[in-house]
Amino acid sequence: MQVSEAQLKTWMTEGLDGDAVAHAALLRALVPLLRAFYRRRLRGADDDVEDLVQDTLIAVHTRRASYDRGRPFTAWLYAIARYRMIDHFRRRKMTVPIEDVEAILTIEGFEDAANAQMDVDRLLAGLSPKQARAIRDTHIDGLSIAEAASRADIGESDVKVSVHRGLKALAARIKGEWS
Amino acid sequence: MNTEQLIQSLSQNVRPVPRRALGRRIGLGLASGAIVTMALVASLLGIRPDLHQAMHGFSFWMKWIYTASLGIGAVFAVARLGRPTPGPLRGLWLLGIPVLLLAGIGIGELAVTPSRDWLAMWLGVSWKVCPWLVLTLAMPIFIGLLWSFRRLAPTRLRAAGATAGLAAGAWAATIYCLHCPEVSAIFVLTWYSLGIVLAAGAGAVVGPRLMRW
Repeated sequence: MQVSEAQLKTWMTEGLDGDAVAHAALLRALVPLLRAFYRRRLRGADDDVEDLVQDTLIAVHTRRASYDRGRPFTAWLYAIARYRMIDHFRRRKMTVPIEDVEAILTIEGFEDAANAQMDVDRLLAGLSPKQARAIRDTHIDGLSIAEAASRADIGESDVKVSVHRGLKALAARIKGEWS
Repeated sequence: MNTEQLIQSLSQNVRPVPRRALGRRIGLGLASGAIVTMALVASLLGIRPDLHQAMHGFSFWMKWIYTASLGIGAVFAVARLGRPTPGPLRGLWLLGIPVLLLAGIGIGELAVTPSRDWLAMWLGVSWKVCPWLVLTLAMPIFIGLLWSFRRLAPTRLRAAGATAGLAAGAWAATIYCLHCPEVSAIFVLTWYSLGIVLAAGAGAVVGPRLMRW
Protein backbone atom coordinates (compact mmCIF):
# COMPACT_ATOMS: atom_id res chain seq x y z
CA MET A 1 0.00 0.00 0.00
CA GLN A 2 1.25 3.48 -0.82
CA VAL A 3 1.42 5.85 2.10
CA SER A 4 1.03 9.54 1.39
CA GLU A 5 3.79 12.10 1.75
CA ALA A 6 1.69 13.88 4.37
CA GLN A 7 1.39 10.70 6.46
CA LEU A 8 5.11 9.96 6.21
CA LYS A 9 5.93 13.50 7.22
CA THR A 10 3.58 13.33 10.19
CA TRP A 11 5.20 10.11 11.40
CA MET A 12 8.64 11.60 10.88
CA THR A 13 7.79 14.71 12.88
CA GLU A 14 6.24 12.66 15.68
CA GLY A 15 9.30 10.40 15.69
CA LEU A 16 11.54 13.46 15.96
CA ASP A 17 9.51 14.51 18.97
CA GLY A 18 10.32 11.15 20.56
CA ASP A 19 7.28 9.05 19.63
CA ALA A 20 8.67 5.52 19.19
CA VAL A 21 5.43 4.12 17.78
CA ALA A 22 5.28 6.71 15.01
CA HIS A 23 8.97 6.15 14.31
CA ALA A 24 8.42 2.41 13.89
CA ALA A 25 5.40 3.05 11.68
CA LEU A 26 7.52 5.36 9.52
CA LEU A 27 10.34 2.84 9.12
CA ARG A 28 7.85 0.08 8.26
CA ALA A 29 6.15 2.25 5.66
CA LEU A 30 9.51 3.05 4.09
CA VAL A 31 10.39 -0.60 3.47
CA PRO A 32 8.19 -1.12 0.38
CA LEU A 33 9.12 2.32 -1.02
CA LEU A 34 12.83 1.61 -0.66
CA ARG A 35 12.54 -1.93 -1.97
CA ALA A 36 10.85 -0.62 -5.10
CA PHE A 37 13.44 2.15 -5.43
CA TYR A 38 16.41 -0.22 -5.25
CA ARG A 39 14.84 -3.14 -7.09
CA ARG A 40 14.37 -1.04 -10.19
CA ARG A 41 17.98 0.03 -10.11
CA LEU A 42 19.68 -3.25 -9.18
CA ARG A 43 17.88 -5.79 -11.24
CA GLY A 44 18.23 -9.33 -9.95
CA ALA A 45 20.33 -8.64 -6.87
CA ASP A 46 17.77 -9.23 -4.12
CA ASP A 47 20.32 -9.63 -1.32
CA ASP A 48 21.84 -6.31 -2.25
CA VAL A 49 18.40 -4.72 -2.32
CA GLU A 50 17.63 -5.89 1.20
CA ASP A 51 21.08 -4.77 2.44
CA LEU A 52 20.52 -1.36 0.94
CA VAL A 53 17.02 -1.09 2.41
CA GLN A 54 18.43 -1.86 5.87
CA ASP A 55 21.37 0.52 5.43
CA THR A 56 18.97 3.25 4.43
CA LEU A 57 16.67 2.60 7.39
CA ILE A 58 19.68 2.86 9.70
CA ALA A 59 20.72 6.12 8.03
CA VAL A 60 17.18 7.50 8.31
CA HIS A 61 17.30 6.65 12.00
CA THR A 62 20.80 7.84 12.93
CA ARG A 63 20.91 10.89 10.68
CA ARG A 64 17.42 12.18 11.24
CA ALA A 65 18.84 15.42 12.65
CA SER A 66 19.59 16.31 9.02
CA TYR A 67 15.88 16.45 8.17
CA ASP A 68 14.38 19.92 7.93
CA ARG A 69 10.80 19.78 9.22
CA GLY A 70 9.74 22.49 6.80
CA ARG A 71 10.72 20.53 3.69
CA PRO A 72 9.18 17.53 1.90
CA PHE A 73 10.01 14.23 3.54
CA THR A 74 10.29 12.09 0.41
CA ALA A 75 12.88 14.40 -1.18
CA TRP A 76 15.04 13.92 1.91
CA LEU A 77 14.44 10.17 1.92
CA TYR A 78 15.30 9.64 -1.74
CA ALA A 79 18.40 11.83 -1.48
CA ILE A 80 19.61 9.51 1.28
CA ALA A 81 18.57 6.42 -0.68
CA ARG A 82 20.43 7.63 -3.75
CA TYR A 83 23.57 8.40 -1.77
CA ARG A 84 23.48 4.94 -0.15
CA MET A 85 23.20 3.36 -3.59
CA ILE A 86 26.10 5.31 -5.05
CA ASP A 87 28.18 4.41 -2.01
CA HIS A 88 27.17 0.78 -2.48
CA PHE A 89 28.42 0.82 -6.07
CA ARG A 90 31.62 2.52 -5.00
CA ARG A 91 32.23 0.03 -2.23
CA ARG A 92 31.89 -2.88 -4.62
CA LYS A 93 33.90 -1.02 -7.23
CA MET A 94 31.01 -1.74 -9.49
CA THR A 95 30.84 -0.15 -12.88
CA VAL A 96 27.73 0.23 -14.94
CA PRO A 97 27.91 -0.95 -18.56
CA ILE A 98 27.21 1.90 -20.93
CA GLU A 99 24.13 0.17 -22.41
CA ASP A 100 22.50 0.18 -18.98
CA VAL A 101 22.99 3.86 -18.41
CA GLU A 102 20.02 4.71 -20.54
CA ALA A 103 17.83 2.34 -18.56
CA ILE A 104 19.06 3.85 -15.29
CA LEU A 105 18.41 7.34 -16.56
CA THR A 106 14.83 6.53 -17.51
CA ILE A 107 14.30 4.96 -14.10
CA GLU A 108 15.54 8.20 -12.56
CA GLY A 109 12.02 9.53 -13.12
CA PHE A 110 10.85 7.00 -10.54
CA GLU A 111 10.86 9.41 -7.65
CA ASP A 112 8.64 11.86 -9.50
CA ALA A 113 6.41 9.00 -10.54
CA ALA A 114 6.20 7.83 -6.93
CA ASN A 115 5.28 11.32 -5.78
CA ALA A 116 2.69 11.65 -8.53
CA GLN A 117 1.35 8.28 -7.44
CA MET A 118 0.93 9.62 -3.92
CA ASP A 119 -0.95 12.65 -5.18
CA VAL A 120 -3.25 10.46 -7.25
CA ASP A 121 -3.85 8.20 -4.26
CA ARG A 122 -4.64 11.18 -2.09
CA LEU A 123 -7.11 12.56 -4.62
CA LEU A 124 -8.79 9.24 -5.27
CA ALA A 125 -9.18 8.65 -1.55
CA GLY A 126 -11.69 11.49 -1.50
CA LEU A 127 -14.06 9.71 -3.90
CA SER A 128 -16.44 6.87 -3.27
CA PRO A 129 -14.67 3.48 -3.54
CA LYS A 130 -16.62 2.60 -6.67
CA GLN A 131 -15.68 5.80 -8.48
CA ALA A 132 -12.05 5.58 -7.36
CA ARG A 133 -11.80 2.03 -8.57
CA ALA A 134 -13.39 2.81 -11.93
CA ILE A 135 -10.97 5.67 -12.54
CA ARG A 136 -7.98 3.65 -11.42
CA ASP A 137 -8.88 0.71 -13.65
CA THR A 138 -9.63 2.67 -16.79
CA HIS A 139 -7.34 5.70 -16.57
CA ILE A 140 -4.33 4.44 -14.62
CA ASP A 141 -4.13 0.69 -15.17
CA GLY A 142 -5.33 1.11 -18.75
CA LEU A 143 -8.18 -1.43 -18.78
CA SER A 144 -11.01 -1.12 -21.28
CA ILE A 145 -14.49 -0.26 -20.03
CA ALA A 146 -15.57 -3.88 -20.59
CA GLU A 147 -12.56 -5.28 -18.69
CA ALA A 148 -13.09 -2.87 -15.82
CA ALA A 149 -16.79 -3.79 -15.69
CA SER A 150 -16.14 -7.52 -15.53
CA ARG A 151 -13.33 -7.07 -12.98
CA ALA A 152 -15.55 -5.01 -10.67
CA ASP A 153 -18.55 -7.18 -11.48
CA ILE A 154 -20.77 -4.26 -12.44
CA GLY A 155 -22.37 -3.10 -15.68
CA GLU A 156 -20.42 -1.21 -18.35
CA SER A 157 -22.64 1.84 -18.15
CA ASP A 158 -22.12 1.83 -14.42
CA VAL A 159 -18.36 2.04 -14.99
CA LYS A 160 -18.80 4.88 -17.48
CA VAL A 161 -21.02 6.84 -15.12
CA SER A 162 -18.67 6.28 -12.18
CA VAL A 163 -15.68 7.48 -14.18
CA HIS A 164 -17.55 10.51 -15.43
CA ARG A 165 -18.87 11.55 -12.04
CA GLY A 166 -15.59 10.76 -10.34
CA LEU A 167 -13.53 12.88 -12.75
CA LYS A 168 -16.00 15.72 -12.43
CA ALA A 169 -15.72 15.60 -8.64
CA LEU A 170 -11.92 15.53 -8.87
CA ALA A 171 -11.87 18.49 -11.23
CA ALA A 172 -14.06 20.46 -8.87
CA ARG A 173 -11.84 19.53 -5.94
CA ILE A 174 -8.58 20.49 -7.69
CA LYS A 175 -10.06 23.80 -8.73
CA GLY A 176 -11.08 24.35 -5.12
CA GLU A 177 -7.55 23.53 -3.90
CA TRP A 178 -5.97 25.96 -6.31
CA SER A 179 -8.26 28.90 -5.93
CA MET B 1 19.10 -9.67 10.87
CA ASN B 2 15.84 -9.35 9.03
CA THR B 3 14.31 -6.00 8.29
CA GLU B 4 11.49 -6.28 10.83
CA GLN B 5 13.96 -7.06 13.64
CA LEU B 6 16.04 -4.12 12.56
CA ILE B 7 13.04 -1.79 12.70
CA GLN B 8 12.15 -3.05 16.16
CA SER B 9 15.65 -2.50 17.48
CA LEU B 10 15.85 0.96 15.90
CA SER B 11 12.52 1.99 17.44
CA GLN B 12 13.44 0.85 20.91
CA ASN B 13 15.27 3.98 21.84
CA VAL B 14 13.80 6.96 20.03
CA ARG B 15 15.28 10.05 21.58
CA PRO B 16 13.61 13.34 20.69
CA VAL B 17 15.47 15.46 18.17
CA PRO B 18 15.01 19.18 18.81
CA ARG B 19 14.08 21.48 15.95
CA ARG B 20 17.47 23.13 15.76
CA ALA B 21 19.39 19.89 16.18
CA LEU B 22 21.49 20.41 13.07
CA GLY B 23 22.63 23.89 14.05
CA ARG B 24 23.37 22.77 17.58
CA ARG B 25 25.37 19.81 16.42
CA ILE B 26 27.51 21.97 14.14
CA GLY B 27 27.88 24.63 16.83
CA LEU B 28 29.01 22.05 19.35
CA GLY B 29 31.61 20.55 17.01
CA LEU B 30 32.85 23.99 16.08
CA ALA B 31 33.04 25.21 19.67
CA SER B 32 34.85 22.11 20.93
CA GLY B 33 37.44 22.43 18.21
CA ALA B 34 37.78 26.16 18.86
CA ILE B 35 38.46 25.55 22.55
CA VAL B 36 41.31 23.18 21.65
CA THR B 37 42.69 25.70 19.15
CA MET B 38 42.49 28.46 21.71
CA ALA B 39 44.32 26.31 24.25
CA LEU B 40 47.04 25.63 21.65
CA VAL B 41 47.43 29.34 20.88
CA ALA B 42 47.56 30.25 24.56
CA SER B 43 50.00 27.51 25.56
CA LEU B 44 52.33 27.18 22.55
CA LEU B 45 52.27 30.58 20.85
CA GLY B 46 51.20 32.84 23.68
CA ILE B 47 48.61 35.58 23.62
CA ARG B 48 50.16 38.84 22.45
CA PRO B 49 51.07 40.84 25.55
CA ASP B 50 49.64 44.09 24.17
CA LEU B 51 46.26 42.53 23.35
CA HIS B 52 44.48 44.99 25.59
CA GLN B 53 45.90 48.00 23.79
CA ALA B 54 45.52 46.32 20.40
CA MET B 55 41.81 45.91 21.03
CA HIS B 56 41.52 49.67 21.00
CA GLY B 57 43.16 49.88 17.59
CA PHE B 58 41.80 49.56 14.06
CA SER B 59 43.95 46.76 12.68
CA PHE B 60 42.97 44.22 15.32
CA TRP B 61 39.27 44.66 14.55
CA MET B 62 39.93 44.72 10.83
CA LYS B 63 41.57 41.30 11.07
CA TRP B 64 38.94 39.96 13.37
CA ILE B 65 35.99 41.12 11.33
CA TYR B 66 37.59 39.80 8.16
CA THR B 67 38.24 36.30 9.49
CA ALA B 68 35.05 36.05 11.55
CA SER B 69 32.83 37.09 8.63
CA LEU B 70 34.45 34.42 6.46
CA GLY B 71 33.90 31.98 9.31
CA ILE B 72 30.23 32.86 9.71
CA GLY B 73 29.57 32.56 5.96
CA ALA B 74 31.36 29.23 5.77
CA VAL B 75 29.41 27.85 8.73
CA PHE B 76 26.14 28.65 6.94
CA ALA B 77 27.39 26.69 3.92
CA VAL B 78 28.44 23.82 6.19
CA ALA B 79 24.93 23.72 7.67
CA ARG B 80 23.45 23.55 4.17
CA LEU B 81 25.76 20.73 3.15
CA GLY B 82 24.90 18.73 6.25
CA ARG B 83 21.53 17.99 4.67
CA PRO B 84 21.26 15.46 1.84
CA THR B 85 19.58 18.02 -0.45
CA PRO B 86 21.76 21.11 -0.06
CA GLY B 87 20.47 22.90 -3.16
CA PRO B 88 22.60 25.43 -5.02
CA LEU B 89 25.34 27.19 -3.06
CA ARG B 90 25.35 30.47 -4.91
CA GLY B 91 25.33 32.36 -1.61
CA LEU B 92 29.01 31.46 -1.19
CA TRP B 93 29.83 34.40 -3.47
CA LEU B 94 28.94 36.63 -0.52
CA LEU B 95 32.27 35.56 0.97
CA GLY B 96 33.85 37.75 -1.68
CA ILE B 97 32.54 40.86 0.09
CA PRO B 98 34.94 40.78 3.08
CA VAL B 99 37.80 39.96 0.70
CA LEU B 100 36.98 42.97 -1.49
CA LEU B 101 36.57 45.27 1.51
CA LEU B 102 39.92 44.21 2.91
CA ALA B 103 41.51 44.69 -0.51
CA GLY B 104 40.06 48.20 -0.52
CA ILE B 105 41.65 48.94 2.85
CA GLY B 106 44.90 47.45 1.54
CA ILE B 107 44.93 49.76 -1.45
CA GLY B 108 44.31 52.70 0.87
CA GLU B 109 47.25 51.60 3.01
CA LEU B 110 49.55 51.31 0.02
CA ALA B 111 48.53 54.76 -1.12
CA VAL B 112 49.64 56.38 2.12
CA THR B 113 52.84 54.33 2.52
CA PRO B 114 56.04 55.17 0.63
CA SER B 115 56.68 52.45 -1.91
CA ARG B 116 60.05 51.48 -0.41
CA ASP B 117 58.16 50.21 2.65
CA TRP B 118 55.64 48.16 0.71
CA LEU B 119 57.58 44.92 0.79
CA ALA B 120 58.18 45.12 4.54
CA MET B 121 54.50 45.86 5.09
CA TRP B 122 53.42 42.96 2.91
CA LEU B 123 55.76 40.39 4.45
CA GLY B 124 55.52 41.63 8.03
CA VAL B 125 57.61 39.60 10.47
CA SER B 126 55.71 36.34 10.22
CA TRP B 127 54.73 35.71 6.59
CA LYS B 128 56.67 32.45 6.50
CA VAL B 129 54.82 30.88 9.41
CA CYS B 130 51.41 32.58 9.33
CA PRO B 131 49.68 30.40 6.67
CA TRP B 132 51.06 27.21 8.17
CA LEU B 133 50.01 28.16 11.68
CA VAL B 134 46.49 28.92 10.45
CA LEU B 135 46.38 25.56 8.66
CA THR B 136 47.62 23.70 11.74
CA LEU B 137 45.28 25.52 14.11
CA ALA B 138 42.38 24.69 11.79
CA MET B 139 42.82 20.97 12.41
CA PRO B 140 41.06 20.71 15.80
CA ILE B 141 38.11 22.69 14.46
CA PHE B 142 37.94 20.54 11.35
CA ILE B 143 37.95 17.43 13.52
CA GLY B 144 35.13 18.94 15.57
CA LEU B 145 33.12 19.47 12.39
CA LEU B 146 33.81 15.90 11.27
CA TRP B 147 32.23 14.82 14.55
CA SER B 148 29.21 17.04 13.77
CA PHE B 149 28.81 15.42 10.37
CA ARG B 150 28.55 11.96 11.88
CA ARG B 151 24.88 12.62 12.63
CA LEU B 152 24.27 14.55 9.44
CA ALA B 153 23.82 13.32 5.91
CA PRO B 154 26.16 15.11 3.49
CA THR B 155 25.84 13.88 -0.08
CA ARG B 156 28.30 16.27 -1.72
CA LEU B 157 31.34 15.20 0.21
CA ARG B 158 33.98 17.25 -1.58
CA ALA B 159 31.98 20.46 -1.17
CA ALA B 160 31.20 19.55 2.44
CA GLY B 161 34.89 18.90 3.13
CA ALA B 162 35.95 22.14 1.45
CA THR B 163 33.46 24.33 3.31
CA ALA B 164 34.22 22.59 6.62
CA GLY B 165 37.91 23.29 5.93
CA LEU B 166 37.07 26.89 5.05
CA ALA B 167 35.09 27.34 8.26
CA ALA B 168 37.84 25.69 10.32
CA GLY B 169 40.51 27.85 8.67
CA ALA B 170 38.58 31.08 9.12
CA TRP B 171 37.83 30.43 12.78
CA ALA B 172 41.40 29.25 13.41
CA ALA B 173 42.60 32.55 11.89
CA THR B 174 40.18 34.44 14.13
CA ILE B 175 41.69 32.76 17.17
CA TYR B 176 45.21 33.22 15.83
CA CYS B 177 44.57 36.98 15.88
CA LEU B 178 44.99 36.76 19.66
CA HIS B 179 48.65 35.97 19.08
CA CYS B 180 49.53 37.60 15.77
CA PRO B 181 51.07 41.11 16.00
CA GLU B 182 50.76 41.99 12.31
CA VAL B 183 48.88 45.16 11.47
CA SER B 184 48.69 45.62 7.69
CA ALA B 185 45.68 44.79 5.55
CA ILE B 186 47.70 43.41 2.66
CA PHE B 187 49.49 41.07 5.08
CA VAL B 188 46.16 39.70 6.28
CA LEU B 189 44.74 39.60 2.78
CA THR B 190 47.64 37.51 1.55
CA TRP B 191 48.90 35.31 4.34
CA TYR B 192 45.79 34.81 6.44
CA SER B 193 43.77 34.12 3.33
CA LEU B 194 46.42 31.71 2.10
CA GLY B 195 46.19 29.75 5.35
CA ILE B 196 42.40 29.68 5.15
CA VAL B 197 42.45 28.57 1.51
CA LEU B 198 44.98 25.85 2.36
CA ALA B 199 42.60 24.60 5.06
CA ALA B 200 39.70 24.61 2.59
CA GLY B 201 41.81 22.73 0.03
CA ALA B 202 42.89 20.17 2.61
CA GLY B 203 39.22 19.72 3.55
CA ALA B 204 38.28 19.17 -0.09
CA VAL B 205 41.01 16.51 -0.39
CA VAL B 206 40.14 14.54 2.74
CA GLY B 207 36.37 15.21 2.78
CA PRO B 208 35.28 12.40 0.45
CA ARG B 209 37.31 9.93 2.49
CA LEU B 210 36.52 11.07 6.00
CA MET B 211 32.91 12.12 5.62
CA ARG B 212 31.73 8.98 3.88
CA TRP B 213 28.87 7.19 5.57
